[in-house]
Amino acid sequence: MSSQERSLLKMANLKSLAANKLTIAAGAVVLLFVFGEIISPGFLSFGHVMSVLRLSVFLGIVALGQSLVVMSGGEGIDLSVGSVLSLGVVIASSLLEGKNTNIPVALAGAMGAGFAIGMVNGFGVAYVGIPPLIMTLAMASVVEGLSLIYTGGYPSGSAPALLESLGNGRIVGIPYVVLLWVLVIVAATLLLFRKRWGAVLFGVGANSITAELSGIDVKRFRMLVYGICGAITGVAGFLVLGYTGTPYLNLGAPYLMSSIAAVAVGGISLAGGSGSYVGASIGCILLITLSSILVALQTTEAVRQIVYGSLLFVIVVAYTRRRAE
Amino acid sequence: MTNRRYLRELLQDSSFPSFLMLVLLVIVNAILQPNFFSYQVFRINFLTFTPLILVSLAQATVILVGAVDLSLGAGISLVTAVMASLMGDSVLSIVLVVLLGIGVAVFLSLFNGFFIGIIGPPPLIMTFATSTIWFGAALLLMPHPGGYIPETYYGLYTASIGGFLPTPVAVLIVAMLFCLLLGRSRAFRHVYAVGGNEKAARASGINVTATKIFAFLVSGVFVAMAALCVVGQTATGDARSGQGFTLNSVAAAVIGGIAFSGGKGNYLGAAMGGIILGLLINIIYFANITSFYQEFMKGVIIIVALLIGAVPRLRRGATRH
Repeated sequence: MSSQERSLLKMANLKSLAANKLTIAAGAVVLLFVFGEIISPGFLSFGHVMSVLRLSVFLGIVALGQSLVVMSGGEGIDLSVGSVLSLGVVIASSLLEGKNTNIPVALAGAMGAGFAIGMVNGFGVAYVGIPPLIMTLAMASVVEGLSLIYTGGYPSGSAPALLESLGNGRIVGIPYVVLLWVLVIVAATLLLFRKRWGAVLFGVGANSITAELSGIDVKRFRMLVYGICGAITGVAGFLVLGYTGTPYLNLGAPYLMSSIAAVAVGGISLAGGSGSYVGASIGCILLITLSSILVALQTTEAVRQIVYGSLLFVIVVAYTRRRAE
Repeated sequence: MTNRRYLRELLQDSSFPSFLMLVLLVIVNAILQPNFFSYQVFRINFLTFTPLILVSLAQATVILVGAVDLSLGAGISLVTAVMASLMGDSVLSIVLVVLLGIGVAVFLSLFNGFFIGIIGPPPLIMTFATSTIWFGAALLLMPHPGGYIPETYYGLYTASIGGFLPTPVAVLIVAMLFCLLLGRSRAFRHVYAVGGNEKAARASGINVTATKIFAFLVSGVFVAMAALCVVGQTATGDARSGQGFTLNSVAAAVIGGIAFSGGKGNYLGAAMGGIILGLLINIIYFANITSFYQEFMKGVIIIVALLIGAVPRLRRGATRH
C-alpha cells in the first residue's frame, strides 16, 4: 500500500519534530515538580509523585480516545468526552450496586454506552458531514441530559471493594492504575506504529483522499474511531468511579479541556495524521502536575481556568509559529 | 420564463431551507403557545430571541471569513460580569459602563482576530483556549452570580419605544441595517473572498490578515450588542450567563445556511437561524417537558437541525474531506 509507505516516511520526518516537542514537555514536567517542591516541601516525595501519576491515569485514558480522534484528521476533535465520562460513571455505579460480581456487566454497560454515543458522533461527522466540533459539542449536551434522565438527578449505587482497590490500591507503593496505564501506553504505541490499523489511522489523518484511493473506506473508518473514543471514555468513567467510590453527576467535566490540552502539549498535530500516545501521556502528567501545584498554591477555580486556558493558548500559538518556519 | 428563473434562484438560495423551517416552526409555535401572534407574546419572545440572533450574526461573520469563535459565550459572560460589578444608578455611570462593556467585547474579539490573522493558529482551538481564559476571568470577577444593574438600564430593555416598538426589536432593526451597510462595503466582499478561497484571495491582492481582523472586529460589535441585551434581560452579572450561546450561535449559523467551510451564506439566513433556534427552544418549554429532559431535547433538536441543514448539501453531492 503506497499511501501507507508514504505516511510512514512522512512520519519519520515528523518524528524528529515530535521528539523535540516531547523533550520540551518532559522538561516542563521536571521543572514543575522542582518548583512544586520549593513552594510545598514533600511535593517531590515518592508518595506524592505517585498520587500525581494516579490522577494522570484517568486523564490519560480519556486522552487516548481524544488522541485517536485528533489523529484521524478532518478537524477531528471530541468535545463530548466530558459528558460521556460522566455518563459512564453513573451507568457503572447503578449497574454495580456495590457488588464485585457485577463488574463485567458494569464495565460492558459503561463501555457500550460510550461506544454507541461515539458511533452517533462518527456517523454525523463522517457520513453527514457535520463539523466534528459542532457535532460533538451538541452531543455533549444530549449526553449530559441523558445522565440527568438516567439518574433522575440523584446517581445511585457505588463501587464494589474490588473496583475501589483497583482505583485506590497500591503495590510496593505504585498504584495499580499506574501499572495498568503502562500496559495501555505500550499497547497503544504498538497499535499505532507496528500494526496496520495504526498506519491506516495516520494515512486517513494525513490525507483522506489518498487513503480513499488506496482502498480504505474512510467514512466507515472515521466513524469507528469516534466509536472507539466513546468506548474508551466510558471505560475511563468506570475507572474514575473506582477512584471516587461513589458517583456524582458531572465528574467528567474537568476532563474535556484537559484532554484536548494534553493532546496538544503532547505534540499531536491538531490537523491530524501524526503524533504519538506517549506524547499525549506526557501531556497528561504535565497538566495534572500543574493542577497539583495550583491546588498547593490554594488558587481558586477561576485562576485555574485562566492558567489552563493560557497554557493551551501559548502552546497553540508557539506550535503555529514553528509550523510557519 | 423569467418568473421561473426567479423562482429557481429563490429555491437555490442558501437561506431558503431555513425559510421553510421558519414557516413550519411559526405554525407549530402558534398551535402550542396561546396568543402567539399577540403583541405581548411577540414582545416577550424577542427579549430572548434578540441576544440569540445577535450572537448568530457574530458567529456568522467569523464563519464567513473561514474561522469560528468558540469564545463568544464566555466573552458575553465576562462582559456581563464587568458591567454588573461596576454599574451604578447615575446616568453617567450607566453610559460609561455600557461603553466599557462594548469596549471589552470588541477587545476580546479583536484579541482572537489579531492572533488568528497574524500568526494563524487553528481558530477552533485558539478560541477554545481563550474561552477558558475569559470564563476564568469572569469567575474571578464574579464567583457567584450577582452584581447590580439599575432599573433604569434593564427597564429600558424591557420597555417599548413609543409604546409599540419593543427595544429588543429596535436593536435588531439597527443590527440588520448595520448588516445591510456592511453588505455594500468592499471590506465585506473581501470577507467572502478570503473565506471562499484564501490562497486565491491573497493572489488577487486582498490583504488576508486585515480582512480576518476586520471580520473579528465586526463580530465583536455584534457580541457587544448581544451582551448589552443579555444584561438587560437578566439584570445580573453571571460567569455562566453566556455558556449556551457558543453552541447555539454555531448551530443557528449552520441552520441559516452559512457554510462551515466559509465564504457562503448571508446575514438574513443567520438571523433566521437564530429565530428558528429560539422557536425550537420555545417548543421545549411549551410542550411541558420536564426540566431533566430539556437539556437533552435541546441537544437532540440542534443535531436534528444540523442534519436537516446538511440535506441540501448532500443532495448537491458535495463531499467533505
